[in-house]
Amino acid sequence: MKKYSRELTVAGVLVLLLLVLAVTAPAFYDPQPMLSRLAREAPTLILACGVALVMVCRQIDISIGSMFAVCGVCSGLLAAEGHPLAVVLAATILIGAVLGAVNGALVAGLRLPSIVVTLATMVILREGLRWQQQGAFINLPDAWQWFGLSQRGGQFTLIGCAFLVLVVLAWASRNFAGIRFLYAVGTNAEAARLAGLRPQWMTFAVFVFMGALTGLAALLNVVQSPQVDPKSGTGLELEAIAAAVVGGVAVSGGRGNLWGVFAGVLLLASINPALTYLHVEPYWEKAIQGAIILLAVIFDGLRNRPEVS
Amino acid sequence: MSAPESNHGTTRRIGALLFRHETVLLIVLVAECLYFNAVGRRFGTLDNTFDIMRHSAEIGLLALVMTPIILTGGIDLSVGSLLGLCAILFGKLWRDAGLSLPVAAVCTLAIGACAGGLNAALIARLRLPALIVTLGTYSLFRGLAEAITRGVDTFTDFPDSFLALGQKHFAGLPTQVWFFLAVAIGIWLLVHRTSFGRSFRAIGFAPEGARFAGLPVARRVALVYILAGVVAALAAIIYTARLGQAKADAGTGYELFAITAVVLGGTSIFGGTGSVHGTLLGVAAIAVLNNGLVHARQPREVAGMLTGALLLAALGASEIPKLLAKLRAPRHLAGPPPISPP
Repeated sequence: MKKYSRELTVAGVLVLLLLVLAVTAPAFYDPQPMLSRLAREAPTLILACGVALVMVCRQIDISIGSMFAVCGVCSGLLAAEGHPLAVVLAATILIGAVLGAVNGALVAGLRLPSIVVTLATMVILREGLRWQQQGAFINLPDAWQWFGLSQRGGQFTLIGCAFLVLVVLAWASRNFAGIRFLYAVGTNAEAARLAGLRPQWMTFAVFVFMGALTGLAALLNVVQSPQVDPKSGTGLELEAIAAAVVGGVAVSGGRGNLWGVFAGVLLLASINPALTYLHVEPYWEKAIQGAIILLAVIFDGLRNRPEVS
Repeated sequence: MSAPESNHGTTRRIGALLFRHETVLLIVLVAECLYFNAVGRRFGTLDNTFDIMRHSAEIGLLALVMTPIILTGGIDLSVGSLLGLCAILFGKLWRDAGLSLPVAAVCTLAIGACAGGLNAALIARLRLPALIVTLGTYSLFRGLAEAITRGVDTFTDFPDSFLALGQKHFAGLPTQVWFFLAVAIGIWLLVHRTSFGRSFRAIGFAPEGARFAGLPVARRVALVYILAGVVAALAAIIYTARLGQAKADAGTGYELFAITAVVLGGTSIFGGTGSVHGTLLGVAAIAVLNNGLVHARQPREVAGMLTGALLLAALGASEIPKLLAKLRAPRHLAGPPPISPP
């Protein structure tokens, strides 16, 4: 139990918030708005899981918001040309993986610091997309929104997809050697190398995987509305990183549990509706999110306080 | 610089000087200027030069103060948000609290120091990772600005005497350039001519080593973040004077431009090496690129893309030689990095 005290604390705070809402604002639990909120958060959950793995490997990726927008626009263009869903899905994930591979090659191949590399690719992709699209929205074919299902069915599918990704990754991060190696590399790359792993290839792989997940998340976002917004995903990278940090992923690598990330995503996502239902002005959302990030990291700091010699 | 005196004649020294990061950047900057001067008709005028200075003063200030932070191995993502918060608090103090503008300005600087102090306390005192702490305050400061203005309130109608700070000239230069120069000289002296500046690099190289060498690491680190807060507040005042209005979204994304300028200027993102004049060149290269492409009738987005590409090129240029050297080394020796003289 003690091993997971960090994750349990976040889950506890989340449960507390949900209980307060249950007593003071039962309207929060109305099924339809609840379903819409969860569906809107589905892409964020996938991105947060991905960036958690990147952080476990002691790297960071701040280009995911821009990759998200590029993948979204690409999938919209492909869909508008009339390609079937399976083709668009595969192509979007592939595009994401290629973009991730560029980051990975620069970070792992040239050994450049990931924060600067992804800062540069974030700007290049975002500006390139704006140049290409000039802010124009892309209209999707009629049958595309909610995968051609009813709104309800579509929302359930989206939430199901995101949850499936979470469950698979959470299971794999305990039982699949490939992801366990990420923990090894993030804890100590040199020790991992001496143990026979290839830290640079692991780093490359985690960026490619991050890109692929971003492609999937972008598609799950695109199907929620009749048009594709080329400005989508602005600031999403910080939202995903914040959720991972709140969920107990250490930016110094080697530590993190995806169920904690799940609790972090839900907690941060609950703030805005909670403010509405508790009759607090919604302008406080960002400040409260910042305060929660700080509290989480202070909590970490006090818990792991090194003994001062 | 700290390069050891070489006995191998002047050719090698000249070669080393040529391949120094700042020299390459200077060549890029001169090339930019020559190209844009040839392409755009109004680029080379004095008015345009002043325009470039005016528009780069705020980001330049943030980049200047980001340099010692990155030298110590830290980072500050919150400066842009802090600029926004200080801008609207400045407006609030002046319009709603009824303070005179100079008093409001001093109070704003103090607020900036306190906000920087929050970062400093968490990073230096509690030893939390700077990236995550300032990610938190990035949200917090912007969120407070939005909450205080309720997302819509803007502050305008500042008196002309105040707007002169951002829009008029003083002694031949745009007024804010004098502030920028003062801060630039101050930080250059601090980093390059005092033992304080030395200690920033020592901390960036090895915080533990610096501590055992007797440096008050926590206090020095705290200092750079507080300094960042004060200068961000100054940038907020100049920003307000230039645009004549203060809004909650002031300075959005400026932190990334500032970091780009610093890294472009040759400061290692891991800390330990770098220079303030490099940062100044980095700021100039970005500002000239942005302005020049407008004169060359290129879309604004191209400037952003080229800035990103320039950043990658600058990083690659400093890393690729090291990588090649490593690849050339015999395989079985490529273990942990050898402890070799520079």
